[in-house]
Amino acid sequence: MSAPLEILAVNFDFLSAWSFWIGVGILAGIYGIFTLGLQLNVGYTGILNFGQVGFMAIGAYSAVIMVVSVGLPFLLALPVSLLITLFFGLLVGLPTLRLRADYLSIATIAFAEVVRITAQNARGLTGGNQGTINLELEEGKFFSDPWLDASDWMTANIFDPIGLSGQDFLNLPLLTVIWLCLIVLAFGLSRLVRSPWGRVLRAIREDEDAARALGKNVFSYKLQSLTIAAGLGAVAGWFLVLQLQSVNQTAFEPIFTFFGYVILILGGLASFPGVLLGTVLLWIPLEGLRFLDLGLSGGQVAALRFILVGLILILLVAFRPQGALGKKEEMVLSD
Amino acid sequence: MTEATTTPTPSPAAGGGTGPMLEVEGIYKHFGGIHAVRGASFDVKRGSITALIGPNGAGKTTLFNIVTGFYSPDAGRIVLDGESIYGKRPYTIARRGMVRTFQITKALAAMPVIDNMMLAAADQPGEHLPKLLGRPLASRKREAEVRDEAMALLSTFSLDNKADDYAGTLSGGQRKLLELARALMPKPRMVLLDEPMAGINPTLGRRLLEHMEELRQNDGVTFLFVEHDMDVVMNHSDEVVVMGQGETILVGTPDEVRADQRVIDAYLGGGTGATEDEAEAHAALGLDAPPSKETPDAR
Repeated sequence: MSAPLEILAVNFDFLSAWSFWIGVGILAGIYGIFTLGLQLNVGYTGILNFGQVGFMAIGAYSAVIMVVSVGLPFLLALPVSLLITLFFGLLVGLPTLRLRADYLSIATIAFAEVVRITAQNARGLTGGNQGTINLELEEGKFFSDPWLDASDWMTANIFDPIGLSGQDFLNLPLLTVIWLCLIVLAFGLSRLVRSPWGRVLRAIREDEDAARALGKNVFSYKLQSLTIAAGLGAVAGWFLVLQLQSVNQTAFEPIFTFFGYVILILGGLASFPGVLLGTVLLWIPLEGLRFLDLGLSGGQVAALRFILVGLILILLVAFRPQGALGKKEEMVLSD
Repeated sequence: MTEATTTPTPSPAAGGGTGPMLEVEGIYKHFGGIHAVRGASFDVKRGSITALIGPNGAGKTTLFNIVTGFYSPDAGRIVLDGESIYGKRPYTIARRGMVRTFQITKALAAMPVIDNMMLAAADQPGEHLPKLLGRPLASRKREAEVRDEAMALLSTFSLDNKADDYAGTLSGGQRKLLELARALMPKPRMVLLDEPMAGINPTLGRRLLEHMEELRQNDGVTFLFVEHDMDVVMNHSDEVVVMGQGETILVGTPDEVRADQRVIDAYLGGGTGATEDEAEAHAALGLDAPPSKETPDAR
C-alpha cells in the first residue's frame, strides 16, 4: 500500500503514518459524539434536528469563555458549559418542538446560524471573525493547560512505556479520551433507548398521536431528547477546542450538521454502534484525500472530497439504504 | 344496558361513581367558517356499549377528537366519571382512563407487537428518566409485570404468536385487534373506538365484538364507538347516539333509533322525504321496513 502508484502519481504513504490515523480518529470521534445526539433525535425520536452544530458551538464557546473571561477552573468550566448548553436545548425546544417536522428543521438550522453569526460578531466575547478568542489567560498560561498536563501525564505513564511516544503520537491521549468517551456514551445511550423511556421515544418516532392517545406526554419526551442531544453537542464542542487549540466560528457552519447526517446514513438509523462505524467511514476518505497528490489545487481537492462523499452516499442509498448497521425492517415498515 | 349499573360488585374499571361515565354537553367546534360540531350533547351510561352514528360529515370523528383532547372545543362541557376533562390534553385524558383508537389504525409499524403493548401500560416508572436512572430495579420489576399482562392480553386476542413480529407485518384486521388490545393495556374505564369494523373481515369483526362484550361484562369497561355497519350498531349496542350536521339528533335504544323519522332524514340530508327516498334510506340504514311515524323522545 505504501508503494507509489506511478501512473497516477498518487502516493499512499500517509496511510502508514500514525499521525494520519490519529488525526482521522480524533475527528471521527468528535463528530461521532456529535452524531450520537442526532441519532437520538432523528433515529429514535423522529425529530429532524438540523441545528446540532449550534449546540456544539455553544458548548465550545461557553467552556472557553468560562475559563478565559470568567476565570473558572477548567474542570468547573465544563459542567457549567454543559448546563448552559442544556439550557439552550430547552430554549430552542420549547417554541419549536410543537412545529411539524419540516418547520422544525428550518427553525433549528436558523438557530444554529444565529449562534454562529452571533459568535462572529460578538467580538468582545468570542474573538469575533478574526478567528480565535485569545486562549492565553496570562503570560504563559493557557485555557487548555489542565488538559495538556493530563495529556503529558498519559503520554509519560501509559503510552511511553509501550513505545507510543514522540512527535507522531502527540495527540494519542486526546484520541484515547475522545474514543473512550464516545464508546461509553454510545453504550449508555444504547441501554437507554432499550428502556421503557426509549420505547416511548420510538413510539413518538412512529406516530405521535398514537403515543398521545396512550397517555404519553409527547412534548416532554421530545424536549428531553433534544436537550440530551444538545449536551452531546457540547461535549463534542469541548473536544473540538482541545484539538484545534482555538475556537473559530467557521467550525460551526451548517455543513457540519450535514456531516452528522451523512454519518447517520452511512452507519444506519436507530443504531448507536452505527454512528461509530459511520463516522469512521466518513472521515477516512474525507481526510485521506487531503494527502493525495493528484496535481490539483487546494480548492479542487476540497471539492473532490465532497464529490467522493456524495458518491459514497449515492452508492449506499442504492445498494444498502438502511446503512451499515441499520435495520431494514424498521425502514421499510415505517410509513 | 342497565345490568352494569345494577351489578352488586362493580369491578375496579367501573369506577366509584354512579352517574354516567361520560357527559358531553353543548359542544361547539368550528374550523374557519365550517361549523363541524354545533351543540352536541349526550351521555354515555356506565358499563354500556354506545354507538355513535350519522352520515358522512356529521361531525362524529371531530367530536371523538374533541372528547379525547386532540382538538380543543370552542364551548361546552365534557365530564368523564364525574371529573371535567374539557380542554385537557390527550395524554392527560388517556391517563384518567379514557383511551381511544383511530379510524386509520395506528399500529406502531416499526415496533414489535409486544413493544406496542408494553408501551401502553400505565405506571411504568422506567418511562421517566430520573426514576429510570434512580430506581432501575423498580423499573425492571414493573417491566416484567407489564410483559406478563401484555402476553395475557395478546393471547386473549390470539396475537401471542405474533408478539415478536413487527406490527407492520400484521394484516389490517390483526392491526385492529392489536389496537384494541393495546388500548386495554392501561386498564381503561372507557374505550372509544373509531370505526372498529372498517376494513376487517367478518370473522375478525365478530371476534372484536365478542371481546367488547366480554370486557363490558367482566371488567365493566364502557365503550363508545363510531360505526357505519348498521347490523353491528343495531345488534351490539345498548344505546345509539345519532349525529347529523354537527348536532346530536337523537339518543336512544337501537329500536327507538330504528323507528325515528329524524334519523332517516339525517341520512337523506334533511327534508321530509318522499316514500321512495325513505325506502332508500331504510336500505342505507340496514333496516327491514319503514317504521311507524311515531318519534319517541329519547331523553
